Amino acid sequence: MFHGNYLDRRSFLAIGSLAGLGVSLPEFFFLRNAQANEPAATSLPVLAKSVIHIFLPGGLAAQETWDPKPFAPIEYRGDLRAIATKIRGEKFSELLPQTAQVADKMTVIRSLTHGEAAHERGVHNMFTGYRPNPALVFPSMGSVVSHELGPRNNLPAYLCIPDQPNPYAGNGYLSSSFAPFALGDKPERNGFKVRDLHLPSGVDPTRYERRRAMLELVNTDFASRITADNIGAMNSFYERAFDLVNSSAAREAFHLDAEDSKMRDRYGRNEAGARMLLARRLVEAGVRFITLTYGGWDHHAKITSSMRRQMPAFDQAYATLLSDLDERGLLDSTLVLVSSEFGRTPKINREGGRDHWSKVFSVALAGGGVRRGAIVGSSGPTANEPEETPISPEDLTRTLYHQMGIRADKELMAPGGRPIEIVNGGQVRKEIVG
Amino acid sequence: MKIFRRRDSGALFVLVLVALFSNAVTANPKFNDKFIELAIYPPEVTLDHSADYQALVVVATRADGVTLDVTSQVEWNTDGVAEQVALEDFTLRPKTNGNGNFTATFGDLVASCQVEVQAVDLVRPVSYRHDVMPVLLRAGCNAGSCHGSARGKDGFRLSLFGFDPAGDYQRLTRELATRRVNIAIPDDSLLLAKSIGSVTHTGGKRFDRDSLYYKKLRRWIESGVPNDLEGAPKVTKLDIFPPHAVLEGKEATQRFVALATYSDGRTRDVTDLVLFRSNNDATAAIDSDGLTKAGLRGVAFVMAQFDTHTVGSQVLVLPEGIKAQLPTTPPVNYIDEWVDAKLRTLRLEPSSQATDEEFLRRVTIDLVGMLPTSEETQAFLADPDPAKRSKRIDALLEQEDFSMIWGMKWAELLMVRSETNRVDYKAMFLYSEWLKQQLDAGVPLDAMVRDLLSASGGSFAEPEVNFYQIEPDTKKIAENVAQAFLGIRLQCAQCHNHPFDRWTMNDYYAFTAFFSQIGRKPNDDYREIIVFNRNSGETPHPVTGKGLPPRFLGGDVPNTKGHDRRALVAEWITSAENPYFASNIANRVWAHHMGVGIVDPVDDVRVSNPASNPELLDALGAKLVEYKYDLRKLVRDICQSNAYQRSTVTNPSNEADRYNFARALTRRIPAEALLDCLCQVTEAQEKFRGLPLGSRAVEIADGNTSNYFLTTFGRSKRQSVCACEVQTEPTLSQALHLLNGATVHNKINQGKVIERLLDKGRSPDEVAREIYLRCLSREPTDEERKQIAATWGEADRPVAELQDLFWALLNSREFLFNH
Repeated sequence: MFHGNYLDRRSFLAIGSLAGLGVSLPEFFFLRNAQANEPAATSLPVLAKSVIHIFLPGGLAAQETWDPKPFAPIEYRGDLRAIATKIRGEKFSELLPQTAQVADKMTVIRSLTHGEAAHERGVHNMFTGYRPNPALVFPSMGSVVSHELGPRNNLPAYLCIPDQPNPYAGNGYLSSSFAPFALGDKPERNGFKVRDLHLPSGVDPTRYERRRAMLELVNTDFASRITADNIGAMNSFYERAFDLVNSSAAREAFHLDAEDSKMRDRYGRNEAGARMLLARRLVEAGVRFITLTYGGWDHHAKITSSMRRQMPAFDQAYATLLSDLDERGLLDSTLVLVSSEFGRTPKINREGGRDHWSKVFSVALAGGGVRRGAIVGSSGPTANEPEETPISPEDLTRTLYHQMGIRADKELMAPGGRPIEIVNGGQVRKEIVG
Repeated sequence: MKIFRRRDSGALFVLVLVALFSNAVTANPKFNDKFIELAIYPPEVTLDHSADYQALVVVATRADGVTLDVTSQVEWNTDGVAEQVALEDFTLRPKTNGNGNFTATFGDLVASCQVEVQAVDLVRPVSYRHDVMPVLLRAGCNAGSCHGSARGKDGFRLSLFGFDPAGDYQRLTRELATRRVNIAIPDDSLLLAKSIGSVTHTGGKRFDRDSLYYKKLRRWIESGVPNDLEGAPKVTKLDIFPPHAVLEGKEATQRFVALATYSDGRTRDVTDLVLFRSNNDATAAIDSDGLTKAGLRGVAFVMAQFDTHTVGSQVLVLPEGIKAQLPTTPPVNYIDEWVDAKLRTLRLEPSSQATDEEFLRRVTIDLVGMLPTSEETQAFLADPDPAKRSKRIDALLEQEDFSMIWGMKWAELLMVRSETNRVDYKAMFLYSEWLKQQLDAGVPLDAMVRDLLSASGGSFAEPEVNFYQIEPDTKKIAENVAQAFLGIRLQCAQCHNHPFDRWTMNDYYAFTAFFSQIGRKPNDDYREIIVFNRNSGETPHPVTGKGLPPRFLGGDVPNTKGHDRRALVAEWITSAENPYFASNIANRVWAHHMGVGIVDPVDDVRVSNPASNPELLDALGAKLVEYKYDLRKLVRDICQSNAYQRSTVTNPSNEADRYNFARALTRRIPAEALLDCLCQVTEAQEKFRGLPLGSRAVEIADGNTSNYFLTTFGRSKRQSVCACEVQTEPTLSQALHLLNGATVHNKINQGKVIERLLDKGRSPDEVAREIYLRCLSREPTDEERKQIAATWGEADRPVAELQDLFWALLNSREFLFNH
């Protein structure tokens, strides 16, 4: 915050001043849609129209998932076997049998590295592409996408299932306008409903219209006298809320029960299945960036049994998601990223678990122009450190933005008129997107 | 030398300008205006070795406060020192020892400068501390994105911004022996070759081979990389000249010079060694040579960084030929005097006074976090007493709710919350009760803070010790104390010298030492923790591995023998002489009522984030001390001022301004108060954990107690002392929740206000008027009344329609915002 920078307004605030100038709502929507349709800040080709970011919080062990070490001694290898995948000569953990069959749609990076072994610091790295800074919170990838590309089809540009998973998945130094929209309810719950999306009981659409007309009336007098940035921002959120509530397509997208029963079974009627299925529906409806979380993976003890409990549901849902998107012709335009804040120690500890390890770990990508059937990098014989092709969070985020048509060199404005690049450093990695 | 080459071209440019001006002087209104002051900077010059030099700047001030850089336009008279110095490119260089005066003349104004030349034959050896280190800073070598990063870059690490000169010396001279520095063939040293880009360098070329910087580094290597850290004089002060500037019109320029003073009394022109930076490039960008150019209207702060010092100079940029109606209303008190003075300088026209309706609503929300009732509003509007606003303020200050609001704000600052396995609910609750008692009993704030910081005992018996239990980490405690009570963010200095402020790692660890002897042990009741003074324990400085003796921030090293260190620091913080404490609290109070702090954010006091109105800040702090920290008296002053009572309606001159109080700002009502207001007008109560039904949200003791409404509207979680935890930025979830969520819709149904009013025999029109008064503190306009009545037509009990109106009022921007 600083004195003096009078023109440092947030982009959406223009709406408030338009309202002050008496621009009518239809005109305003026209203007806004015109802006939204512009290929904002980019002349890059848009390969990934949407991103589904599946975040497995706690620090997922690569050894028990994407990067088994079948030839390492038992204390490195763990109890789980490795199985063949659709990528010749490459193996996944035995807990990913269905995913192994769609590996030819995926790129697995086995050499991600950042060196931040505390949860919140690792999370900051993986959501923002920046190392944590005590003076500034950076915006998450979803918020940057929201800022750069704006909403589509009356739906929030950035949405979290079920809620914003951590403080670094938010808007950071950007305006709250670009904060994620949280469902506020869990899709796996029976009777799941997005919070506050539906008209309250006893209010039918006719009555809702009357309410809305009265609200317009009450607001008119105030708006004619007072214009302010924060009031303009509130106005714009009200308009977006009305869009969302009134759009049957939008409401339909959240309506999981509308999905064919067989499809629900295919994904699995559980946390992982419901969340990923909902993510696919939202991609179809036009949401640009979806972050969903599943389970907890901070396995300091008993890693094998914990993995056996949580992994199968993920395997089924994730493999189904990739196949389903592909069958619908959406995989090429939808980038699915599976990540975690870091990996886990090469050796099993005395509690039968693994501790935090950020020197090397794995993430999985598919769709949105990502190579089909590729393994990038290696973590060496014991998953100790990148043996080849180390990939940084900056590389990963830059590559992801590139696929979405966003130039990561662009500078965004942080408080105090401090310009900050979307990603500082890193490269678009051809190993990933060829 | 690069630097001088640039200056040469600058001089050429100036010559051309002078030529242009000489024709235009009489025609240009600028030159017809009366100049009242002429000043040479620096005012005194001492040159004390053969290669010493000092650049000069001459500034003329016009009657209306506008300043002009006239360095190139004045007539110099150096006769008095012609023997001693040479003046070229506005830079003095020594010739022979001696002293004298010279003058600069501009129109009828004359300024003079005293020069002393000594030791003209002295050739100073190149200094690692004072020549090499500054070059590494200036060229960006030790910046965070380059070799200053924690792991260095490309195998070469330097300490960030040079916080560890001894370590840097080691790495420069002992690593990559003969390659990084090659004493035999200096030009082959990687240090030099990389800097000028003659070999591949990720950071590119930093300076030229013929630059001053190259020469200095080369000379240092050539002379065998001497290490002069032992006993080297320290930089005690950095000055930037001119100390302020008021530029008129786009493209107006001002050159700045920087002067360092050392502990041995020497001064030195360090303009080519400092890092220049502006906090607002749009208004006044500054280049690496110290030349500022005016941009958009506004206020900027240009800064120079050198060694561990950062200093700044305020630059105002005004458009040309501006006309504004300056404040005419007589000031109510000292607040208006300082605010109006600033508005005159900036030529900002204040907004008119808020209406009685607006004032009453605003002051009620600010002081007690509620809305005026319809009866209160009607009585206030009907009251002909000219002093009714003052009387209303006094009445609100006496309400219990006033203490609740400040109890909540202090609870945010002191992070009152329960914490699994650390702060039991009971301990938290007692802590909260302690705070409430302090405020209810009117304990002066300085005494309260002194108690809190020096407290020892059980967390049940002496609940204020929970401050040290909620945050157990010594370094974080020190950071929290600095941020909460002094408004200073020390965090950066934990790992490196603060890049934008004066705080060094030594300051950080010496301040942390006050909190390094806190002991904790469980009591018989496992939920209670005893905090005590261990009388031993240090926090090691990461560079030296040793603890530092406790030192007050920017102050002395006290004698700690036989004292509890925390008692000493508590005494220092709350003493009347402490430069930060009173003004920081006053600024927090100010920001609560005005929507923006004089320093903003309120807990980020630093050189590079200066006060928008320093005199006002000082005055408020001094008043708070004078009032013996009686919060009510300060709030009364603020609320009575014209500045507080202005309308939120803007005029063309002040619509873009937020920081000078020319108009009132619209503010979203904070989460707790908003929920309380909703309960108040709908008469539907809430139940919060640990409080009886119908209690207010502002009374909630625990930061970890919340509900969907409070969380969505940005209630502080009290996880840190940062004022930023309270959020009032709007979001989509807020809009959806008010539109469709349980809070508004259910409260209207549960409270049955509409039904009851109709039952009492009020007409629908009267009911509409009543709920308008409740929600917006005003009556409906004729147009509103007409259109609303049309929705129910002839019906005599239109419950649904009136409920919808109620819903609309509670969703209106006019309700959600304090304006």
